[in-house]
Amino acid sequence: MLVSVLAIGGLGVMAVMGVVAAFIITGWIGQPVPVLGFEQTFDQPIDFPHTVHASLLPLDRVAADGEKMDGLGLDCTFCHRTVTTQANAGIPPVGFCATCHQVIGAADNVQINLLRDAADIIGDDGTEPVNWKRVHRLPDHVRFVHEPHIRYLTQNPSEVTGTTDGVTQGAAGVCSTCHGNVAAMQQVEQVESLKMGQCVDCHRDNGAPTDCVACHH
Amino acid sequence: MTIASFGSHNWGMVVDVDKCIGCNACVIACQAENNIPINTQDRVERARSISWIRVERYWEGDFPDAKARFIPIMCQHCENAPCEPVCPVYATYHNSEGNNVQVYNRCVGTRYCANACPYIVRFFNFWEPVWPESLRNHLNPDVTIRSRGIMEKCSFCVHRIRRESRKARSEGHEIVDGAIQTACSSACPTTALNFGNFNDPNSKVSKMRDDQRHYTLLDQFATDPNVIYLAQIDADKKVGVGEAATHG
Repeated sequence: MLVSVLAIGGLGVMAVMGVVAAFIITGWIGQPVPVLGFEQTFDQPIDFPHTVHASLLPLDRVAADGEKMDGLGLDCTFCHRTVTTQANAGIPPVGFCATCHQVIGAADNVQINLLRDAADIIGDDGTEPVNWKRVHRLPDHVRFVHEPHIRYLTQNPSEVTGTTDGVTQGAAGVCSTCHGNVAAMQQVEQVESLKMGQCVDCHRDNGAPTDCVACHH
Repeated sequence: MTIASFGSHNWGMVVDVDKCIGCNACVIACQAENNIPINTQDRVERARSISWIRVERYWEGDFPDAKARFIPIMCQHCENAPCEPVCPVYATYHNSEGNNVQVYNRCVGTRYCANACPYIVRFFNFWEPVWPESLRNHLNPDVTIRSRGIMEKCSFCVHRIRRESRKARSEGHEIVDGAIQTACSSACPTTALNFGNFNDPNSKVSKMRDDQRHYTLLDQFATDPNVIYLAQIDADKKVGVGEAATHG
């Protein structure tokens, strides 16, 4: 009797340890779920929908006039303008958003009005930048530059693995290779782990330098 | 058209000691470029100041005929670097472009490398780096700020090398000789410091290296440095080249 209880207990301990180990391993390697407070998405100061701006498909959204909305299908580089030339993809200034949004969007749309307030279209507190929260944050000590990565994938479309709503040409495929189908995200989240292993795998497969100092300096 | 890939260069420096006037512009340029903490009096007194490049001054002769000798010394990026095999975590290694690389995020601060280095060009961060509020915006975003407990040293301004390589590749041409300048060489008013690619026989540094005045520091240790010095010549003293080469 006692022996069998101990045996079952031992199996139970093994099972618990196995579950814990599997949890840690999947969390570390894949990050498929937010592990222990590791957030992959943030509530932004303005609830900006990438779906409306970048999606190529009809949306589950109804405009102020009651019509069903289609995604605008803007190219990623329409707003993230420095991505092909510089290290950072760049967030457009509020004035850039206001180019469209001083007329486009319902006058009582709370979220767009936050932007209009920041761009000084409504209110009288002057222009102030929106404090967007960074979603894709690389580990410390890494110098990541978008420009060569965008250039390589643009020149080698066979290496593009991502799609934006099924489209792989141009920025729709290039950007989504690392960032996932952002056009389908109501709130942007990080889909790839963006850890060093992933960087090195891709660098090795594509003949890019794997020297430490290529990124760490 | 194929563009030279990573690893086909051998970066090095030629220092013409005859041209050095000891102005220390290179030292200041390096401090500003590479986010080096300010060496306060306290740190200097404890011999814990950090300067990736320094200008050593020697006096030669007695008073009326005294001569000041200057020699800029930075990491020699040795091919047989004594600092590399002693590191237990491979935080310092020789890369395929001839640089002796310090990987800050690997370093655990054993300081073995600083003890092994005969040129005394490796520095340990004994404190968390701090800058006065007025200098907050002067920090170079391309260079990692080294925290307390790790080693640092001259990197040959590797961020500039990476930047120019990237630029050349995106424009579809080879890196032009002279396009990459380290902070010290671009600040040098007399072009005593020259940076370039030793693998290119037509580069400025390759041609300078063939000068018969050339020597390397502490060559008895056979470290095979990538920094080549050109000896000083005194016009009035008629010092032979062989004699001058032993100086320093």
